[in-house]
Amino acid sequence: MRVLVVAEHDNQSLKAGVLNTIQAARKIASEVVVLVAGHEASSVAQAAAQVEGVSKVLHADAAQYAHALAENIANLVLSIAKEYTHILTPASTFGKNFLPRVAALLDVAQVSDVIQVVDADTFVRPIYAGNVLATVKATDAIKVLTIRTTGFDPVAATGGSAAIESLAAQADSGLASFVEQTLTKSSRPELGAAKIIVSGGRGMGSSENFAILEALADKLGAAIGASRAAVDAGYVPNDYQVGQTGKIVAPQLYIAVGISGAIQHLAGMKDSKVIVAINKDEEAPIFQVADYGLVADLFTAVPELTQALS
Amino acid sequence: MKILVAVKRVVDYNVKVRVKSDGSDVDIANVKMSMNPFDEIAVEEAIRLQEAGIATEIILVSLGVKACQDILRTGLAMGGDRAILVETDEEIQPLSAAKLLKAVVEKEQPKMVILGKQAIDDDANQTGQMLAALLGWGQATFASKVTVAGEQATVIREIDGGLETIAVKLPVVVTADLRLNEPRYVKLPNIMKAKKKPLDVLTPADLGVNLTKNLVTLKVQEPPVRKAGVKVADVQSLVDKLKNEAKVI
Amino acid sequence: MSYHAPTQDMLFVINELAGLSELNAFEEYAEITPDVVESILEEAGKFATDILDPINHSGDKEGNQFANNAVTTATGFKEAYAQFAEAGWTGVASSPDYGGQGLPSLVSTAVAEIWKSANMAFSLCPMLTQGAIEALMHHCSDESIRSVYLPKMIEGTWTGTMNLTEPSAGSDLSAVRSKAVPEGDHYRLYGQKIFITWGEHDVAENIIHLVLARLPDAPEGVKGISLFVVPKFLVNADGSLGARNDAYCVSIEHKLGINASPTAVIAFGDNEGALGYMVGEPNQGLKYMFTMMNHARLAVGLEGVAISERAYQRALAYAKDRIQGVEIGSRTGQKVAIIKHPDVRRMLLTMKSVTEATRAVAYYGAALLDKAGHEPDDAVRAEAQSQVDLLIPVVKGWCTEMGVELTSLGIQVHGGMGYIEETGAAQHFRDARIATIYEGTTGIQANDLVGRKVGLDKGVAAQALFVKIKATLADLETVHGDDFAVIRQGLSTGLEALTTATAWIVQQYAEKNPQAANASSVAYLRLFGYVVGGWQMARAAFIAQQKLQQSSGNHAFFEAKIISTRFYADYMLSQAAGLSHAVTQGSVAILAMSDELF
Repeated sequence: MRVLVVAEHDNQSLKAGVLNTIQAARKIASEVVVLVAGHEASSVAQAAAQVEGVSKVLHADAAQYAHALAENIANLVLSIAKEYTHILTPASTFGKNFLPRVAALLDVAQVSDVIQVVDADTFVRPIYAGNVLATVKATDAIKVLTIRTTGFDPVAATGGSAAIESLAAQADSGLASFVEQTLTKSSRPELGAAKIIVSGGRGMGSSENFAILEALADKLGAAIGASRAAVDAGYVPNDYQVGQTGKIVAPQLYIAVGISGAIQHLAGMKDSKVIVAINKDEEAPIFQVADYGLVADLFTAVPELTQALS
Repeated sequence: MKILVAVKRVVDYNVKVRVKSDGSDVDIANVKMSMNPFDEIAVEEAIRLQEAGIATEIILVSLGVKACQDILRTGLAMGGDRAILVETDEEIQPLSAAKLLKAVVEKEQPKMVILGKQAIDDDANQTGQMLAALLGWGQATFASKVTVAGEQATVIREIDGGLETIAVKLPVVVTADLRLNEPRYVKLPNIMKAKKKPLDVLTPADLGVNLTKNLVTLKVQEPPVRKAGVKVADVQSLVDKLKNEAKVI
Repeated sequence: MSYHAPTQDMLFVINELAGLSELNAFEEYAEITPDVVESILEEAGKFATDILDPINHSGDKEGNQFANNAVTTATGFKEAYAQFAEAGWTGVASSPDYGGQGLPSLVSTAVAEIWKSANMAFSLCPMLTQGAIEALMHHCSDESIRSVYLPKMIEGTWTGTMNLTEPSAGSDLSAVRSKAVPEGDHYRLYGQKIFITWGEHDVAENIIHLVLARLPDAPEGVKGISLFVVPKFLVNADGSLGARNDAYCVSIEHKLGINASPTAVIAFGDNEGALGYMVGEPNQGLKYMFTMMNHARLAVGLEGVAISERAYQRALAYAKDRIQGVEIGSRTGQKVAIIKHPDVRRMLLTMKSVTEATRAVAYYGAALLDKAGHEPDDAVRAEAQSQVDLLIPVVKGWCTEMGVELTSLGIQVHGGMGYIEETGAAQHFRDARIATIYEGTTGIQANDLVGRKVGLDKGVAAQALFVKIKATLADLETVHGDDFAVIRQGLSTGLEALTTATAWIVQQYAEKNPQAANASSVAYLRLFGYVVGGWQMARAAFIAQQKLQQSSGNHAFFEAKIISTRFYADYMLSQAAGLSHAVTQGSVAILAMSDELF
């Protein structure tokens, strides 16, 4: 069995989720090949070669891979797909974008958001926004999987010494082209990758009041999230939303502030390792999932917490 | 141009689903079913493109049991022009859904297909991409803004950490993200009008598609329930617990 | 916990108990088939949950602001109303000739229940507008007024009000003193009207007041009252708005409930006189009101159903959520949700079963209204009319009295938290309280029932109803099992009690003893409500049983319906005998107690 892991990167460095995906790959087989498709991305290929447990790195370098357009990445993966029993990529917007194209053109199923590898063809994945876990068996010869990175610990980024082979690029599909990218300018980590998340709910009362969460987040190096109620109230933009229809997160520490804990919100964060809830309503459902609950007025408790961490 | 919108009938997002006692599947008997919320956004986008004079006809497609007609009627009441139900009682996995939609696309020749980015039941997030691949079309997934000019669509996509703009040639498959738009409420007069709009029923056999089940669900279970932890008295003891007990800060 | 329209029960009642298919036989309702009705209720439910429900509690807390003759409604109401009108919900029941949807009362009743549950204060605005639309529709023959006002009101651009009450003319409208002085092709109105629901607000650009007033030469009493249409802003011939009319809100009331609904005191003609137009013929105003009464009373009766449903949903969610105490008989010591406690279940089941019963009676009455309006056969139509006339005071009086009791139970389920405004349970109780008062108090409904509907009718319409109940009893005999034995027994005893009480009422009128009948009237109305509600529940259980045998539809729903009916039989129908006793015996003490002895 040989596993191909398609690496996510920004032409400069590997995205953290790749290490978790390689961990998942290693649970399937010992031979793990990493594909780095990019433009002027040799530093990424070199980084991939050093990752623990990687057998080989394939490096395709061409202008048409600069922005990970789904059509082009999928065609490249297809050119080598038949050599592998499994094709994995992180279940990020990068992976979700191109991998189903690969599966469709191989005429095989894709298993999305794998959180557990049972054996080489059996996997556990969440459905219904994580309210149910399904164990599914993929019957095709080639298994195509996106890996929910929160389900696997990362392998070490160093310690390996895989060979780097270059892989011939496929022609540009000509179907799509990159125009521009605007990444949220924030010194804080992004929600999906953050180790700590500080999240605010309707209890924040206003957009301005989120400043006290920002101070706390800065102190902790945390990302900022929000409940749908806070987003709907216009306190913060939609991309802050954690929950069934927003982002699904599983950080080491999730601090829910002024969040009552609607089912939709819990669906997005209940896999966090440690949950802290700060709410003045001691009946709030959030306390039923919190490891540590503090019944207090958030407007005094949060600044106090920020202070205590100084 | 014609726009085809695929809509899926799913358990209503307000319903908390339960696993059948034998663990074979999720129990969806007698629960409220609705149009997948992301597909509602897809329908709304098509209507807006029609209102902007870009789309000429909106064709709604659903795949599945007879009751999918209900959500097609909802889509028609929102503003779709006609509907097609590919009716089957069989389970339809994403790959088969893409194949069925491909057959409908070949029949109807739309310039654009819009779908929700994922259905809130199986959360697969595959059908749109698979459809684009099978058709040999370009795709714009997780769309938060769609503009069409000439033979090209410019789409702003929601990606992890921000937004990306791409230009895609028509015909194209677009999948709708949460922020693309806010679906309108159905107007009462349009509910009545929707009943008179055409709704054709086909079968997978009519389209020459064999439904395959490449994935077998062995069991389903509810995730381990998180237990309520402890209430701490004050901020100081919270910090203490986080540092010394949980060791997360 | 937000409100979700109970569309499953609504559709069951509409299709199985009220008989939508019979209405589909009428040409104008042929297209209002079950699937269309389901879509309508689903969409209304979605709108209610998303738009109206979120501003229910906040609207209650915030209320309306009054300054400079103007009312500012609570946050979100203006936007919600704009969306409500935009989505076409203001035209549900109105004539397609003027842009309405022309839905049968049965369907518009179900839709209205959804609005009333989601936000009773909000729902009063379209309800009053509908009343004003009907007044113009049925009694104004002047096409220049109809074509200007009706489309705007039906599309929701303008709202309507009913101006009846005056400081000294409440339940007794014969005392109306406002006057209307002819001036060319119109009139100038002078006088003060109170308790004008949504009489002034900022959600729509114009307000169309329907006003009762006397012409200068009008006879005294009920026969001298005419109906006028008086717009807040005068309307130009092209439909655009003109000058501000001399009809100003001078204050709004501070109330127990429905706080987001502005209740205005309106001064007509403090300056040059409020310009108005007569609707229909002179001195026919009260008669016109009378023809609209069945619809209006049904609409208010429905408030009892709606607020009970809302209170039930709220209480149920709390009972499932609130962990308190250990389950009786359990030795695990584990704390449980309070729904595990039998008395909490008793309260929830009371709320559930009585709400279902009131809904069934109200919708059944609505379908009768449709039949009374559309049956082609004269005899069948007349029969429907006499049945609806009989049932309307029951729908209004009984459903709203149940609303007060069930919302009170809703608080009880919450315990101490129910007494705290935060949970919302208290608001339901406060909101429910008005429904037994306006549009004719329970006492007035009961007097109407025992007087014109039973006593003077010599019990003919009531007997016709009892024949139908007996047919259901015969159906029930075909079903075996303990549940149905209890249900049959309960309904049978209930009918017996009602028959006895009815005979006594008829006898009082025959013996020219209306005082005794009036003394017993509210007890009789309550008895009537319980039995008619029990009848509808028994029909529901019978149909549920058939569906279970055919294995069609939602098993859980049908099983719950049978249990709910059994509970109703044991808890509600069992009260019939006691109430019958009160009816036939209780008047003695009431009449024996002289004023001085109180």
